[in-house]
Amino acid sequence: MPEPPAAGRAGPASAKRPDPPSGRCWHLPGLDSEAVAGEYEATTETGGRVRAPRLTTAQAIHVASEVRAAALEARRERRLAEVLDAASRAAGRLADPGDPAGREAADVLGRELGWSAAASGRTLRDMAEVWRRDALADLLERELGDPAVLDAFRPDPDRPGRRRRALGAPLQFLVLSGNVPGVGVTALLRGLLARSGLLARVSAREPGLPALFARLLAQEDPLLGRTVAVTWWPADEAAPAWEAWSARAGTVVVYGGAEAVAGVRARVGAAADLLVYGPRTGIAVLLPDAPPGTAAALARDVCAYEQRGCVSPRLVFVVGGDALDAGAAVAEALAAEAARRPPPPLSSDEAVRIRAVRAEAEFAGLAQGASPGRVFGPEDLSWTVLAGGEPGIASTALPRTVWVHAVPDVAALLALLAPLERRIQAIGTAGDRGLAELAEGAAALGTSRVAPLGRLAWPPADWRHEGKHQILPLLSWTDWEDAAG
Amino acid sequence: MTRAAAPGGFPSLAADLKEAFTTWDGAPWPDGRFDELALRAFALQFETNAPYRAWCRARGAGPGTVRSWRDVPPVPTAAFRAVDLVAGPTDAAALTFLTSGTTGGAARRGRHLVLDPGLYRTSLRAAFRRFVLAGAPPVRILTLVPPPTAAPHSSLSWMLEDVRQAFGAPGSRCLAGAEGIDWAALAAALAAATADGSPVAVLGTTLALAAWADRREGATGGPPLPPGSLVMDTGGTKGRAGLDRDAVLDCLLPALGLDADRAVNEFGMTELLSQRYARGRGPGLLHGPPWLRTAALDPVSLAPRPDGEEGILCHWDLANAGSVLAVLTEDRGVVEDGTVRWLGRTPGAPPRGCSLATAELLAAQERQDA
Repeated sequence: MPEPPAAGRAGPASAKRPDPPSGRCWHLPGLDSEAVAGEYEATTETGGRVRAPRLTTAQAIHVASEVRAAALEARRERRLAEVLDAASRAAGRLADPGDPAGREAADVLGRELGWSAAASGRTLRDMAEVWRRDALADLLERELGDPAVLDAFRPDPDRPGRRRRALGAPLQFLVLSGNVPGVGVTALLRGLLARSGLLARVSAREPGLPALFARLLAQEDPLLGRTVAVTWWPADEAAPAWEAWSARAGTVVVYGGAEAVAGVRARVGAAADLLVYGPRTGIAVLLPDAPPGTAAALARDVCAYEQRGCVSPRLVFVVGGDALDAGAAVAEALAAEAARRPPPPLSSDEAVRIRAVRAEAEFAGLAQGASPGRVFGPEDLSWTVLAGGEPGIASTALPRTVWVHAVPDVAALLALLAPLERRIQAIGTAGDRGLAELAEGAAALGTSRVAPLGRLAWPPADWRHEGKHQILPLLSWTDWEDAAG
Repeated sequence: MTRAAAPGGFPSLAADLKEAFTTWDGAPWPDGRFDELALRAFALQFETNAPYRAWCRARGAGPGTVRSWRDVPPVPTAAFRAVDLVAGPTDAAALTFLTSGTTGGAARRGRHLVLDPGLYRTSLRAAFRRFVLAGAPPVRILTLVPPPTAAPHSSLSWMLEDVRQAFGAPGSRCLAGAEGIDWAALAAALAAATADGSPVAVLGTTLALAAWADRREGATGGPPLPPGSLVMDTGGTKGRAGLDRDAVLDCLLPALGLDADRAVNEFGMTELLSQRYARGRGPGLLHGPPWLRTAALDPVSLAPRPDGEEGILCHWDLANAGSVLAVLTEDRGVVEDGTVRWLGRTPGAPPRGCSLATAELLAAQERQDA
């Protein structure tokens, strides 16, 4: 099992965080950098500056045209196998500590997240599991049956006399609003496999990695490098690229929160397909026969991505048990995990938010008298368990922070979770008693994955993210019926 | 040393505080004076509020161990959402102020119960007189915030109405209601003041001033307001994109014929019954009365940051004797020589990729269902 990230420089927020990012976050094929009039600039969560060229409408359109032309050329000049080779090599280099590019990637990511380069390197290596050539080829095989449809017409095995071909839109516009480490690279890989030209707007919080990937791809294969454009602009700016890129894309893919999604939805042309990966959360369920060691497995899932991921379990439900007992066990496991893998330093904002949820829970418990909740966690805020109180579904993504509630049975749990329909990404489970009922309920709620705790944070390469296929939604099919068919 | 709550409980302490606030001569207070009153307030709050007492005990703090105001453990503002922090029975509260409640994705609004409006009044008037009026003769006060009859749980409404009644010259008016600001009435009131040569003070939120600036933009400036006039804003820009207080002042002040030092910025919170004030543009130095002490703390260890270094602002406010003395905010700031430079709020729950606050999950769900 991949190891969770950890920081070399662990300790309280007052400990020095890595220097903020200042790296280049753009890769714009065809742009005459001499003609760029100015830059967009912003301060990131970790206090770094993000800068990117201020494109005019004409420049944004020119980049889109160049990328489209290169993508159409690549469809003629490159076989899928060559795309797989080059793309997986470029992505693999991001996670290779022996490659200067891998060291740069770990450095960029570490500075963006405020993690040590060692911790970000480990996270990149976890992510790279799904970027490997065999994993990508397997994914295509599983979704398409015959991936060669991405190169040419192929006989339809079930329909004699019919051939079929699949291609993505010539231009795909990706809005990478999220900051889960590496997800932007995964999104670019999916687009490349769909044989699309890619126009990507990165998030100010994780701006560096997609552009670095695009530059590495250009090193591996200059033509493919010209099929990807990456840059950043402030979300609230009326940047010309918003209009120029969304209007030209046949497919628009959005990662991020409700606001980001709504903003993009309003801009996308009626003819474009819109694919949304919105806000979701992970949940952990301890069934009555949960085996010993469950809390330790849960703690690994909690610490894996510092609760940033949509699979990260923020809410823990103990079925037919006691919330305070379970909370104490989870607390003990998180303390042990913290000793093994010290957490990255907290940002000031994270510390404030953790202290706020602790204070609210603690005072609510003190005010209740009967069945009070309890807050577990060290003074340095490095992990927090908010156990007991009125069972609920409120939670916030905060580093190593979990809410633990007791429910009498699986039916009661499913009733409690009803408002989260299509908002639960994954459910991590421990124990068998009630598991089938829980899995059936999870499917009804639109949950994309049910997996044992300890594996929740590491979805397999062919996981149907948000319940969707990864490649199929990006494709358009052409059936060619023979005269004889 | 065990320190019992003041004999006479809250009424006696409140009477002493009112006396101290009313007779303040503008000079700083020696540590001993602040400490004596702070420890009485803490002992009272510890004795009379069971959840607060339990919370302090869990931190090893009690009247026996707290020797100075700095030892009083600060309560995060989030606690106001969970419990009534009142130094007495909740039904004794004369006023209930609610926070705007949306910051940080919190579903519930914070609640600050006020036992003695007179104590609040005494504190806010003394500071307003010194830092806003600064010894000038009475001015017409025009407020751009709905009155308490329209916003009964707004501490800002209550405060502005109180200073209008206490200090406003004849012709002072509240120009907002539940439906918003009466801009025509504002224009008429300013024209009348200009015609009379009577100075005016226009008090409102920063957002109200921004809306006012928007309305003036492009219009020809009228005659300047009479000397002694001022504007006061409060509340900041609440993170509203593209809104910059300095830009608002740059638009508004020349049009009104006011110098930058006639712009006052008020810093207040529902959870605090005292306020601070700064003058001019930029994140100015916020001055407050000597019964309000502020420190910038390390966000994790809560150790005080050295003077001039950024931290999370924590206030010890004697006007909060009836609720809770030490309040840990979610504001970033710098403390220099007892004055405060406010640098903004922490942005709330950090936006986190595909893992977002349940509040947002539910909001998204509601929008979808609508």
